[in-house]
Amino acid sequence: MPVLQAVNVSHRYTQASPTQFSAIENVNIEIENGELVGIIGHTGSGKSTLVQHFNGLLKPTEGKILLDGKDIWESKKTVHQSRFKVGLCFQYPEYQLFEETVYKDIAFGPKNMKLSEEEIDKAVRKAAEYVGISASMFQKSPFDLSGGEKRRVAIAGVMAMEPQVLILDEPTAGLDPKGRDRILDMIKAYQKDTKKTVIFVSHSMEDVAKLATKVLVMNKSRVAMYDTVDNVYSRAEELTEMGLNVPQVTKIFMSLKKQGVDVSQNIYTVEQGKAELLRLLGGSKK
Amino acid sequence: MIKDITIGQYFSAKSVIHRLDARIKIILTIAFIVNIFLIKNFWGLGVIVATLIATTLLSKVPFKMILKSIKPIVFIVIFTAVLNLFYMQDGRNLLPESWFISITDKGLIFAFFLAVRIITLVIASSLLTYTTTPTELTFAIEKLLSPLKLIKVPVNTFATMMTLALRFIPTLIEETDKIMSAQKARGADLETGGIIDRIKAMVPILIPLFVSSFRRANDLAFAMECRCYTDGEGRTRMKQNKISFKDIAALVIIVLITTGIVLLNTFFTHVI
Repeated sequence: MPVLQAVNVSHRYTQASPTQFSAIENVNIEIENGELVGIIGHTGSGKSTLVQHFNGLLKPTEGKILLDGKDIWESKKTVHQSRFKVGLCFQYPEYQLFEETVYKDIAFGPKNMKLSEEEIDKAVRKAAEYVGISASMFQKSPFDLSGGEKRRVAIAGVMAMEPQVLILDEPTAGLDPKGRDRILDMIKAYQKDTKKTVIFVSHSMEDVAKLATKVLVMNKSRVAMYDTVDNVYSRAEELTEMGLNVPQVTKIFMSLKKQGVDVSQNIYTVEQGKAELLRLLGGSKK
Repeated sequence: MIKDITIGQYFSAKSVIHRLDARIKIILTIAFIVNIFLIKNFWGLGVIVATLIATTLLSKVPFKMILKSIKPIVFIVIFTAVLNLFYMQDGRNLLPESWFISITDKGLIFAFFLAVRIITLVIASSLLTYTTTPTELTFAIEKLLSPLKLIKVPVNTFATMMTLALRFIPTLIEETDKIMSAQKARGADLETGGIIDRIKAMVPILIPLFVSSFRRANDLAFAMECRCYTDGEGRTRMKQNKISFKDIAALVIIVLITTGIVLLNTFFTHVI
Protein backbone atom coordinates (compact mmCIF):
# COMPACT_ATOMS: atom_id res chain seq x y z
CA MET A 1 0.00 0.00 0.00
CA PRO A 2 1.33 3.48 -0.84
CA VAL A 3 2.25 5.59 2.18
CA LEU A 4 0.90 8.78 0.68
CA GLN A 5 -1.85 9.07 -1.83
CA ALA A 6 -3.51 12.05 -3.42
CA VAL A 7 -6.93 11.33 -4.85
CA ASN A 8 -8.35 13.93 -7.23
CA VAL A 9 -6.87 16.74 -5.19
CA SER A 10 -7.62 20.29 -6.28
CA HIS A 11 -6.92 23.48 -4.42
CA ARG A 12 -8.23 26.90 -5.31
CA TYR A 13 -7.23 30.17 -3.75
CA THR A 14 -10.12 32.58 -3.68
CA GLN A 15 -9.07 35.06 -1.04
CA ALA A 16 -6.19 36.66 -2.84
CA SER A 17 -8.04 37.87 -5.91
CA PRO A 18 -11.62 38.07 -7.12
CA THR A 19 -10.88 35.65 -9.95
CA GLN A 20 -10.51 32.07 -8.85
CA PHE A 21 -7.01 30.82 -9.11
CA SER A 22 -6.27 27.13 -9.12
CA ALA A 23 -3.02 26.31 -7.45
CA ILE A 24 -3.28 22.60 -8.14
CA GLU A 25 -5.83 20.74 -10.13
CA ASN A 26 -6.88 17.15 -10.17
CA VAL A 27 -3.74 15.64 -8.73
CA ASN A 28 -3.63 11.85 -8.52
CA ILE A 29 -0.43 10.32 -7.24
CA GLU A 30 0.73 7.45 -5.12
CA ILE A 31 3.97 7.57 -3.24
CA GLU A 32 5.32 4.21 -2.14
CA ASN A 33 7.14 3.59 1.09
CA GLY A 34 10.90 4.12 0.97
CA GLU A 35 10.92 6.15 -2.19
CA LEU A 36 12.96 9.27 -2.80
CA VAL A 37 10.75 11.50 -4.89
CA GLY A 38 11.95 14.68 -6.55
CA ILE A 39 9.32 17.25 -7.45
CA ILE A 40 10.27 19.69 -10.18
CA GLY A 41 8.37 22.36 -11.98
CA HIS A 42 8.39 25.97 -12.98
CA THR A 43 7.85 28.74 -10.43
CA GLY A 44 4.14 28.87 -9.69
CA SER A 45 3.45 25.39 -11.01
CA GLY A 46 1.96 24.34 -7.68
CA LYS A 47 4.85 22.39 -6.14
CA SER A 48 4.78 24.11 -2.77
CA THR A 49 1.00 24.05 -2.61
CA LEU A 50 1.01 20.33 -3.27
CA VAL A 51 3.47 19.48 -0.51
CA GLN A 52 1.55 21.59 1.99
CA HIS A 53 -1.38 19.28 1.41
CA PHE A 54 0.59 16.22 2.42
CA ASN A 55 0.77 17.20 6.09
CA GLY A 56 -2.60 18.87 6.32
CA LEU A 57 -1.45 22.49 6.34
CA LEU A 58 -3.74 23.15 3.43
CA LYS A 59 -7.10 21.53 3.02
CA PRO A 60 -7.91 20.38 -0.50
CA THR A 61 -10.90 22.15 -2.01
CA GLU A 62 -11.71 18.85 -3.64
CA GLY A 63 -10.38 15.35 -3.21
CA LYS A 64 -8.57 13.53 -0.47
CA ILE A 65 -5.11 12.99 0.89
CA LEU A 66 -4.62 9.49 2.22
CA LEU A 67 -1.85 8.74 4.67
CA ASP A 68 -1.43 5.00 5.16
CA GLY A 69 -4.78 4.61 3.45
CA LYS A 70 -6.59 6.93 5.87
CA ASP A 71 -7.97 10.35 5.06
CA ILE A 72 -5.94 12.89 7.01
CA TRP A 73 -8.90 15.28 7.21
CA GLU A 74 -11.06 12.71 8.96
CA SER A 75 -10.92 14.55 12.29
CA LYS A 76 -8.99 17.28 14.07
CA LYS A 77 -6.85 14.62 15.69
CA THR A 78 -5.84 12.96 12.45
CA VAL A 79 -4.82 16.34 11.01
CA HIS A 80 -2.65 17.06 14.03
CA GLN A 81 -1.17 13.56 13.84
CA SER A 82 -0.36 13.96 10.16
CA ARG A 83 1.89 16.92 11.01
CA PHE A 84 4.16 14.49 12.87
CA LYS A 85 3.87 11.59 10.48
CA VAL A 86 4.67 13.80 7.53
CA GLY A 87 7.50 16.17 8.40
CA LEU A 88 7.48 19.24 6.20
CA CYS A 89 10.48 21.51 6.04
CA PHE A 90 9.71 24.83 4.37
CA GLN A 91 11.74 26.91 1.98
CA TYR A 92 14.41 28.88 3.83
CA PRO A 93 13.69 26.99 7.04
CA GLU A 94 16.42 28.88 8.90
CA TYR A 95 13.94 31.76 9.39
CA GLN A 96 11.81 29.64 11.68
CA LEU A 97 14.50 29.13 14.33
CA PHE A 98 13.56 30.76 17.61
CA GLU A 99 14.89 28.91 20.65
CA GLU A 100 17.79 29.93 22.87
CA THR A 101 19.92 26.96 21.95
CA VAL A 102 20.36 24.69 18.97
CA TYR A 103 19.38 21.70 21.09
CA LYS A 104 16.11 23.25 22.24
CA ASP A 105 15.22 24.24 18.71
CA ILE A 106 15.70 20.75 17.34
CA ALA A 107 13.68 19.45 20.28
CA PHE A 108 10.70 21.69 19.54
CA GLY A 109 8.98 19.19 17.26
CA PRO A 110 9.47 16.10 19.45
CA LYS A 111 8.35 18.14 22.46
CA ASN A 112 5.11 18.99 20.70
CA MET A 113 4.66 15.25 20.19
CA LYS A 114 4.68 14.93 23.98
CA LEU A 115 7.54 12.42 23.99
CA SER A 116 9.45 11.63 27.19
CA GLU A 117 12.73 13.40 28.02
CA GLU A 118 14.83 10.40 26.99
CA GLU A 119 12.99 9.88 23.74
CA ILE A 120 13.39 13.57 22.91
CA ASP A 121 17.10 13.44 23.70
CA LYS A 122 17.58 10.39 21.53
CA ALA A 123 15.65 11.89 18.62
CA VAL A 124 17.55 15.18 18.83
CA ARG A 125 20.97 13.52 18.87
CA LYS A 126 20.09 11.27 15.98
CA ALA A 127 18.70 14.10 13.85
CA ALA A 128 21.73 16.27 14.61
CA GLU A 129 23.96 13.45 13.48
CA TYR A 130 22.15 13.12 10.15
CA VAL A 131 22.68 16.80 9.38
CA GLY A 132 26.22 16.90 10.70
CA ILE A 133 25.67 19.14 13.69
CA SER A 134 28.05 18.04 16.44
CA ALA A 135 27.06 17.86 20.10
CA SER A 136 29.50 20.67 20.86
CA MET A 137 27.17 23.08 19.05
CA PHE A 138 24.07 22.13 21.04
CA GLN A 139 24.40 24.93 23.56
CA LYS A 140 25.06 27.66 21.00
CA SER A 141 22.38 30.12 20.02
CA PRO A 142 20.96 29.24 16.61
CA PHE A 143 21.31 32.90 15.63
CA ASP A 144 25.12 32.69 15.97
CA LEU A 145 25.46 29.98 13.33
CA SER A 146 26.37 30.42 9.69
CA GLY A 147 23.67 30.31 7.05
CA GLY A 148 24.36 26.73 6.04
CA GLU A 149 24.48 25.56 9.65
CA LYS A 150 21.21 27.29 10.43
CA ARG A 151 19.61 25.53 7.50
CA ARG A 152 20.86 22.16 8.70
CA VAL A 153 19.66 22.78 12.26
CA ALA A 154 16.22 23.66 10.90
CA ILE A 155 16.12 20.48 8.82
CA ALA A 156 17.18 18.50 11.89
CA GLY A 157 14.23 20.04 13.72
CA VAL A 158 11.91 18.32 11.27
CA MET A 159 13.90 15.08 11.13
CA ALA A 160 13.77 14.85 14.93
CA MET A 161 10.04 14.18 14.77
CA GLU A 162 11.02 10.95 13.04
CA PRO A 163 8.33 11.30 10.41
CA GLN A 164 7.31 8.47 8.13
CA VAL A 165 7.60 10.85 5.23
CA LEU A 166 10.09 13.71 5.14
CA ILE A 167 9.31 16.57 2.77
CA LEU A 168 11.86 19.25 1.99
CA ASP A 169 10.76 22.29 0.02
CA GLU A 170 13.77 23.53 -1.96
CA PRO A 171 16.30 22.55 0.67
CA THR A 172 19.23 23.91 -1.33
CA ALA A 173 17.79 27.30 -2.30
CA GLY A 174 20.28 30.10 -1.88
CA LEU A 175 23.21 27.92 -0.83
CA ASP A 176 26.65 27.87 -2.42
CA PRO A 177 27.65 24.72 -4.39
CA LYS A 178 29.46 23.27 -1.37
CA GLY A 179 26.53 23.82 0.95
CA ARG A 180 24.18 22.41 -1.67
CA ASP A 181 26.19 19.22 -2.11
CA ARG A 182 26.33 18.82 1.64
CA ILE A 183 22.55 19.01 1.97
CA LEU A 184 22.03 16.60 -0.93
CA ASP A 185 24.49 14.06 0.49
CA MET A 186 22.77 14.42 3.83
CA ILE A 187 19.34 13.69 2.35
CA LYS A 188 20.68 10.65 0.57
CA ALA A 189 22.37 9.31 3.70
CA TYR A 190 19.25 9.92 5.76
CA GLN A 191 17.10 8.03 3.31
CA LYS A 192 19.55 5.16 3.04
CA ASP A 193 19.77 4.82 6.79
CA THR A 194 16.13 5.19 7.77
CA LYS A 195 14.58 3.62 4.65
CA LYS A 196 11.82 6.19 5.00
CA THR A 197 10.09 8.09 2.26
CA VAL A 198 11.65 11.40 1.30
CA ILE A 199 10.09 13.97 -1.00
CA PHE A 200 12.03 17.03 -2.06
CA VAL A 201 11.10 19.97 -4.20
CA SER A 202 13.80 21.38 -6.40
CA HIS A 203 14.46 23.67 -9.32
CA SER A 204 17.55 21.86 -10.36
CA MET A 205 17.23 18.94 -12.75
CA GLU A 206 20.78 17.94 -11.83
CA ASP A 207 19.94 17.66 -8.15
CA VAL A 208 16.87 15.60 -8.85
CA ALA A 209 18.83 13.30 -11.16
CA LYS A 210 21.49 12.82 -8.51
CA LEU A 211 19.10 11.85 -5.75
CA ALA A 212 15.65 10.81 -6.76
CA THR A 213 14.30 7.36 -7.54
CA LYS A 214 11.17 8.89 -8.97
CA VAL A 215 10.41 12.26 -10.45
CA LEU A 216 7.18 14.19 -10.29
CA VAL A 217 6.91 16.99 -12.82
CA MET A 218 4.38 19.71 -12.16
CA ASN A 219 3.24 21.97 -14.96
CA LYS A 220 0.52 24.62 -14.80
CA SER A 221 -1.10 23.24 -11.62
CA ARG A 222 -1.21 19.70 -12.91
CA VAL A 223 0.96 16.63 -12.64
CA ALA A 224 2.63 16.39 -16.02
CA MET A 225 4.72 13.28 -15.38
CA TYR A 226 5.32 10.95 -12.52
CA ASP A 227 7.82 8.26 -13.36
CA THR A 228 11.35 6.99 -12.87
CA VAL A 229 14.24 9.33 -13.57
CA ASP A 230 15.12 7.54 -16.82
CA ASN A 231 11.62 7.69 -18.20
CA VAL A 232 11.09 11.32 -17.33
CA TYR A 233 14.44 12.61 -18.55
CA SER A 234 14.16 10.81 -21.86
CA ARG A 235 11.23 13.08 -22.68
CA ALA A 236 13.59 16.03 -22.96
CA GLU A 237 11.57 17.85 -25.59
CA GLU A 238 8.41 17.91 -23.51
CA LEU A 239 10.39 19.11 -20.51
CA THR A 240 11.89 21.94 -22.51
CA GLU A 241 8.42 22.96 -23.62
CA MET A 242 7.44 23.28 -19.97
CA GLY A 243 10.36 25.60 -19.45
CA LEU A 244 12.42 22.95 -17.69
CA ASN A 245 15.81 21.88 -18.86
CA VAL A 246 17.44 18.49 -18.85
CA PRO A 247 20.97 18.61 -17.43
CA GLN A 248 23.69 19.82 -19.80
CA VAL A 249 25.46 16.45 -19.78
CA THR A 250 22.28 14.77 -20.85
CA LYS A 251 21.97 17.18 -23.76
CA ILE A 252 25.51 16.42 -24.89
CA PHE A 253 24.96 12.69 -24.79
CA MET A 254 21.64 13.00 -26.56
CA SER A 255 23.20 14.90 -29.43
CA LEU A 256 26.10 12.43 -29.55
CA LYS A 257 23.56 9.68 -29.94
CA LYS A 258 21.85 11.63 -32.70
CA GLN A 259 25.14 11.89 -34.56
CA GLY A 260 25.47 8.15 -34.45
CA VAL A 261 27.82 7.64 -31.51
CA ASP A 262 26.89 4.54 -29.60
CA VAL A 263 26.30 6.01 -26.12
CA SER A 264 23.63 5.54 -23.53
CA GLN A 265 21.09 8.34 -23.34
CA ASN A 266 20.46 7.91 -19.67
CA ILE A 267 23.27 10.16 -18.52
CA TYR A 268 22.24 12.78 -15.98
CA THR A 269 25.30 13.54 -13.95
CA VAL A 270 28.87 14.39 -14.82
CA GLU A 271 30.05 11.23 -13.04
CA GLN A 272 27.81 9.03 -15.16
CA GLY A 273 29.04 10.88 -18.25
CA LYS A 274 32.64 10.30 -17.31
CA ALA A 275 32.05 6.59 -16.83
CA GLU A 276 30.19 6.33 -20.10
CA LEU A 277 32.94 8.16 -22.01
CA LEU A 278 35.61 5.95 -20.46
CA ARG A 279 33.62 2.90 -21.44
CA LEU A 280 33.35 4.22 -24.97
CA LEU A 281 37.01 5.14 -25.25
CA GLY A 282 38.13 1.91 -23.64
CA GLY A 283 35.90 -0.02 -26.01
CA SER A 284 37.26 1.65 -29.12
CA LYS A 285 40.83 0.87 -28.11
CA LYS A 286 40.28 -2.85 -28.38
CA MET B 1 -7.39 34.34 8.45
CA ILE B 2 -4.47 36.67 9.01
CA LYS B 3 -4.85 37.95 5.47
CA ASP B 4 -8.25 39.39 6.42
CA ILE B 5 -6.63 42.15 8.43
CA THR B 6 -6.94 45.38 6.48
CA ILE B 7 -4.96 48.18 8.02
CA GLY B 8 -4.75 51.52 6.28
CA GLN B 9 -7.77 50.32 4.35
CA TYR B 10 -7.99 52.33 1.19
CA PHE B 11 -11.06 52.00 -0.96
CA SER B 12 -10.30 52.87 -4.54
CA ALA B 13 -13.02 54.90 -6.23
CA LYS B 14 -13.43 58.04 -8.27
CA SER B 15 -15.25 60.59 -6.17
CA VAL B 16 -15.05 64.21 -5.15
CA ILE B 17 -13.95 63.14 -1.68
CA HIS B 18 -11.16 61.00 -3.10
CA ARG B 19 -9.93 63.93 -5.18
CA LEU B 20 -9.82 66.39 -2.29
CA ASP B 21 -6.34 67.30 -1.15
CA ALA B 22 -5.18 65.06 1.70
CA ARG B 23 -4.12 68.04 3.82
CA ILE B 24 -7.58 69.54 3.51
CA LYS B 25 -9.17 66.19 4.30
CA ILE B 26 -7.21 65.90 7.54
CA ILE B 27 -8.20 69.43 8.54
CA LEU B 28 -11.83 68.68 7.65
CA THR B 29 -11.82 65.50 9.69
CA ILE B 30 -10.36 67.25 12.73
CA ALA B 31 -12.83 70.11 12.40
CA PHE B 32 -15.68 67.64 12.07
CA ILE B 33 -14.59 65.75 15.18
CA VAL B 34 -14.45 69.03 17.12
CA ASN B 35 -18.01 69.70 15.94
CA ILE B 36 -19.12 66.29 17.14
CA PHE B 37 -18.18 67.38 20.64
CA LEU B 38 -19.56 70.89 20.29
CA ILE B 39 -23.16 69.82 19.79
CA LYS B 40 -25.48 70.40 22.72
CA ASN B 41 -28.91 69.48 21.33
CA PHE B 42 -30.73 67.32 18.81
CA TRP B 43 -30.58 70.04 16.13
CA GLY B 44 -26.81 69.92 16.17
CA LEU B 45 -26.87 66.15 16.20
CA GLY B 46 -29.07 66.21 13.11
CA VAL B 47 -26.61 68.47 11.31
CA ILE B 48 -23.69 66.16 12.20
CA VAL B 49 -25.46 63.00 11.06
CA ALA B 50 -26.72 64.64 7.87
CA THR B 51 -23.24 65.93 6.99
CA LEU B 52 -21.75 62.50 7.59
CA ILE B 53 -24.36 60.74 5.45
CA ALA B 54 -23.89 63.26 2.65
CA THR B 55 -20.11 62.83 2.75
CA THR B 56 -20.42 59.05 2.73
CA LEU B 57 -22.71 59.14 -0.28
CA LEU B 58 -20.36 61.52 -2.09
CA SER B 59 -17.36 59.32 -1.36
CA LYS B 60 -18.93 56.27 -3.09
CA VAL B 61 -17.59 54.05 -0.32
CA PRO B 62 -20.13 51.22 -0.03
CA PHE B 63 -22.28 51.07 3.07
CA LYS B 64 -20.91 47.61 3.84
CA MET B 65 -17.39 48.99 4.21
CA ILE B 66 -18.66 51.64 6.62
CA LEU B 67 -20.33 48.98 8.73
CA LYS B 68 -17.11 47.00 8.75
CA SER B 69 -15.30 49.95 10.30
CA ILE B 70 -17.78 50.19 13.17
CA LYS B 71 -17.81 46.46 13.88
CA PRO B 72 -14.73 46.42 16.14
CA ILE B 73 -16.09 49.22 18.35
CA VAL B 74 -19.63 47.92 18.85
CA PHE B 75 -18.68 46.50 22.22
CA ILE B 76 -17.06 49.73 23.44
CA VAL B 77 -20.08 51.75 22.33
CA ILE B 78 -22.55 49.51 24.14
CA PHE B 79 -20.37 49.31 27.22
CA THR B 80 -19.90 53.08 27.60
CA ALA B 81 -23.53 53.80 26.77
CA VAL B 82 -24.84 51.36 29.38
CA LEU B 83 -22.37 52.60 31.97
CA ASN B 84 -23.46 56.19 31.41
CA LEU B 85 -27.10 55.21 31.49
CA PHE B 86 -26.77 54.12 35.10
CA TYR B 87 -24.16 56.63 36.13
CA MET B 88 -26.11 59.73 35.11
CA GLN B 89 -28.71 60.11 37.85
CA ASP B 90 -29.90 63.69 37.26
CA GLY B 91 -33.39 64.25 35.97
CA ARG B 92 -36.64 62.35 36.14
CA ASN B 93 -36.56 58.64 36.94
CA LEU B 94 -38.25 56.58 34.23
CA LEU B 95 -38.38 53.32 36.17
CA PRO B 96 -40.75 52.49 39.07
CA GLU B 97 -39.48 53.89 42.40
CA SER B 98 -39.44 50.45 44.02
CA TRP B 99 -36.71 49.18 41.66
CA PHE B 100 -33.22 49.33 43.05
CA ILE B 101 -31.83 50.76 39.82
CA SER B 102 -32.99 53.93 38.20
CA ILE B 103 -32.74 55.29 34.70
CA THR B 104 -33.39 58.97 34.20
CA ASP B 105 -34.48 60.79 31.07
CA LYS B 106 -31.27 62.79 31.17
CA GLY B 107 -29.22 59.62 31.50
CA LEU B 108 -30.97 58.15 28.49
CA ILE B 109 -30.23 61.19 26.34
CA PHE B 110 -26.68 61.34 27.58
CA ALA B 111 -26.04 57.68 26.72
CA PHE B 112 -27.62 58.15 23.30
CA PHE B 113 -25.46 61.20 22.52
CA LEU B 114 -22.36 59.36 23.63
CA ALA B 115 -23.06 56.37 21.42
CA VAL B 116 -23.76 58.55 18.40
CA ARG B 117 -20.64 60.60 19.07
CA ILE B 118 -18.36 57.56 19.16
CA ILE B 119 -19.91 56.04 16.06
CA THR B 120 -19.77 59.25 14.01
CA LEU B 121 -16.20 59.83 15.14
CA VAL B 122 -15.10 56.42 13.95
CA ILE B 123 -16.97 56.68 10.67
CA ALA B 124 -15.51 60.12 9.98
CA SER B 125 -11.95 58.99 10.58
CA SER B 126 -12.36 55.78 8.62
CA LEU B 127 -13.78 57.77 5.73
CA LEU B 128 -10.49 59.63 5.75
CA THR B 129 -8.45 56.44 5.38
CA TYR B 130 -10.91 54.89 2.94
CA THR B 131 -10.59 57.82 0.57
CA THR B 132 -6.91 58.68 1.00
CA THR B 133 -3.96 56.50 0.00
CA PRO B 134 -1.31 55.97 2.68
CA THR B 135 1.26 57.88 0.64
CA GLU B 136 -1.01 60.90 0.33
CA LEU B 137 -1.74 60.67 4.02
CA THR B 138 1.91 60.72 5.03
CA PHE B 139 2.57 63.57 2.66
CA ALA B 140 -0.26 65.51 4.24
CA ILE B 141 0.90 64.81 7.77
CA GLU B 142 4.39 65.90 6.82
CA LYS B 143 3.09 69.16 5.41
CA LEU B 144 0.75 69.86 8.30
CA LEU B 145 3.48 69.20 10.85
CA SER B 146 6.10 71.24 8.98
CA PRO B 147 5.75 74.25 11.32
CA LEU B 148 7.32 71.98 13.94
CA LYS B 149 10.57 72.21 11.97
CA LEU B 150 11.02 75.60 13.58
CA ILE B 151 11.56 73.88 16.89
CA LYS B 152 13.89 71.36 15.20
CA VAL B 153 11.53 68.39 15.04
CA PRO B 154 12.68 66.16 12.13
CA VAL B 155 9.28 66.07 10.44
CA ASN B 156 10.63 64.70 7.14
CA THR B 157 12.23 61.75 8.85
CA PHE B 158 9.01 60.96 10.68
CA ALA B 159 7.13 61.04 7.40
CA THR B 160 9.60 58.63 5.80
CA MET B 161 9.30 56.35 8.81
CA MET B 162 5.53 56.32 8.50
CA THR B 163 5.63 55.59 4.78
CA LEU B 164 8.00 52.68 5.37
CA ALA B 165 5.92 51.31 8.23
CA LEU B 166 2.80 51.32 6.08
CA ARG B 167 4.68 49.79 3.17
CA PHE B 168 5.82 46.84 5.25
CA ILE B 169 2.49 45.87 6.80
CA PRO B 170 1.53 43.47 3.95
CA THR B 171 5.06 42.06 3.86
CA LEU B 172 4.97 41.35 7.57
CA ILE B 173 1.54 39.75 7.32
CA GLU B 174 2.82 37.44 4.61
CA GLU B 175 5.90 36.65 6.68
CA THR B 176 3.78 35.88 9.74
CA ASP B 177 1.68 33.54 7.67
CA LYS B 178 4.76 31.70 6.47
CA ILE B 179 6.29 31.35 9.93
CA MET B 180 2.98 30.17 11.34
CA SER B 181 2.80 27.43 8.72
CA ALA B 182 6.38 26.41 9.39
CA GLN B 183 5.79 26.11 13.15
CA LYS B 184 2.50 24.32 12.60
CA ALA B 185 4.41 21.84 10.46
CA ARG B 186 6.57 21.20 13.52
CA GLY B 187 3.45 20.46 15.53
CA ALA B 188 2.97 23.87 17.16
CA ASP B 189 -0.58 24.04 18.43
CA LEU B 190 -1.94 27.54 17.95
CA GLU B 191 -5.63 26.90 18.13
CA THR B 192 -6.36 25.04 21.32
CA GLY B 193 -5.63 25.57 25.00
CA GLY B 194 -6.29 28.35 27.47
CA ILE B 195 -5.14 31.95 27.19
CA ILE B 196 -1.77 31.27 28.81
CA ASP B 197 -1.11 28.35 26.46
CA ARG B 198 -1.98 30.44 23.47
CA ILE B 199 0.26 33.30 24.52
CA LYS B 200 3.08 30.82 25.03
CA ALA B 201 2.37 29.35 21.61
CA MET B 202 2.99 32.78 20.06
CA VAL B 203 6.66 32.80 21.12
CA PRO B 204 7.85 30.55 18.25
CA ILE B 205 6.15 32.94 15.84
CA LEU B 206 7.08 36.28 17.35
CA ILE B 207 10.80 35.62 17.75
CA PRO B 208 11.46 34.69 14.12
CA LEU B 209 9.25 37.59 13.09
CA PHE B 210 11.28 40.04 15.17
CA VAL B 211 14.54 38.66 13.87
CA SER B 212 13.46 38.95 10.27
CA SER B 213 12.03 42.44 10.80
CA PHE B 214 15.37 43.64 12.09
CA ARG B 215 17.14 41.96 9.22
CA ARG B 216 14.76 43.58 6.76
CA ALA B 217 15.15 46.99 8.35
CA ASN B 218 18.91 46.66 8.19
CA ASP B 219 18.84 45.62 4.53
CA LEU B 220 16.48 48.43 3.67
CA ALA B 221 18.58 51.05 5.44
CA PHE B 222 21.58 49.79 3.53
CA ALA B 223 19.76 49.83 0.20
CA MET B 224 18.49 53.37 0.85
CA GLU B 225 21.97 54.60 1.70
CA CYS B 226 23.30 53.00 -1.47
CA ARG B 227 20.85 55.13 -3.38
CA CYS B 228 22.13 58.22 -1.61
CA TYR B 229 19.22 58.75 0.75
CA THR B 230 19.99 61.42 3.27
CA ASP B 231 17.19 62.63 5.50
CA GLY B 232 14.09 64.13 3.96
CA GLU B 233 15.24 67.77 3.92
CA GLY B 234 14.88 69.42 0.54
CA ARG B 235 13.47 66.42 -1.28
CA THR B 236 11.08 67.08 -4.11
CA ARG B 237 8.01 65.05 -4.99
CA MET B 238 6.98 63.31 -8.15
CA LYS B 239 3.35 64.28 -7.59
CA GLN B 240 2.80 67.92 -6.73
CA ASN B 241 -0.38 68.42 -4.78
CA LYS B 242 -2.07 71.75 -5.28
CA ILE B 243 -4.99 73.21 -3.40
CA SER B 244 -7.84 73.63 -5.86
CA PHE B 245 -11.23 75.28 -5.88
CA LYS B 246 -13.06 72.26 -4.43
CA ASP B 247 -10.67 72.19 -1.48
CA ILE B 248 -11.48 75.80 -0.68
CA ALA B 249 -15.18 75.01 -1.09
CA ALA B 250 -14.89 72.14 1.35
CA LEU B 251 -13.20 74.42 3.89
CA VAL B 252 -15.98 76.99 3.49
CA ILE B 253 -18.58 74.26 4.06
CA ILE B 254 -16.98 73.06 7.27
CA VAL B 255 -16.72 76.67 8.54
CA LEU B 256 -20.43 77.13 7.77
CA ILE B 257 -21.30 73.90 9.58
CA THR B 258 -19.28 74.93 12.61
CA THR B 259 -20.94 78.36 12.71
CA GLY B 260 -24.31 76.69 12.28
CA ILE B 261 -23.72 74.39 15.20
CA VAL B 262 -22.53 77.23 17.44
CA LEU B 263 -25.65 79.20 16.52
CA LEU B 264 -27.90 76.18 17.17
CA ASN B 265 -26.24 75.85 20.56
CA THR B 266 -26.92 79.44 21.47
CA PHE B 267 -30.50 79.67 20.19
CA PHE B 268 -31.92 76.34 21.28
CA THR B 269 -31.99 74.78 24.73
CA HIS B 270 -29.16 72.45 25.66
CA VAL B 271 -30.16 68.87 26.38
CA ILE B 272 -26.75 67.79 27.63
